[in-house]
Amino acid sequence: MSLDADETRQRLKAAVHYTVGRLCQRAGEEHRREFSRQAVAAIAETAFRQCDVFAKDLEAFARHAKRSIVSAEDVKLAARRSTALSIYIHNKSEELAQEQKTAKNKSTRKRKSKDTEESRE
Amino acid sequence: MAEKGEEISFKKETVSKLLSGFFKEEKTKLSGDAALLMAEMLKVFVQEAAVRSQKQAESEDCDQVDIEHFEKILPQLLLDF
Repeated sequence: MSLDADETRQRLKAAVHYTVGRLCQRAGEEHRREFSRQAVAAIAETAFRQCDVFAKDLEAFARHAKRSIVSAEDVKLAARRSTALSIYIHNKSEELAQEQKTAKNKSTRKRKSKDTEESRE
Repeated sequence: MAEKGEEISFKKETVSKLLSGFFKEEKTKLSGDAALLMAEMLKVFVQEAAVRSQKQAESEDCDQVDIEHFEKILPQLLLDF
């Protein structure tokens, strides 16, 4: 059981490391500066540990609101420390909500057209 | 490796599993929206770390970003998140 948990942890760490590597490479291409492997590994490790901090914050926020599901509102609260980040996350959240709205409209429209087709038959 | 112009970001499933693993109580869950937003936030965190490290390397006139550059920007980075 604990061995399994450990393996999952290692895999997640590897996944984070991979994405961090790609992000660093992209950032390096733009400024013509390469990242050493150690630097990438350090950034990945920091991101992984930062997740721990984020997760504990999110859990506490959700619990404070008497919920057991972490919602987008909790994430907005977690981004409160920096104004720019807070605005960015707020905008992203609105974008997501908008996308879901249009997706919903599309699906209902499809269903409606299906209904009318069926009634025609 | 990575195609040009394509947006690099963390996978929703990865973020979801990562955060769920860190929750103290097992019944705490993450909504889909929250996972997507956290993926975005984590991306910003890493990008910020990368850009600040690069700036540090630039100020020291180094061609390669090394761990010592990241070490120097780490305290402020953690205070900003």
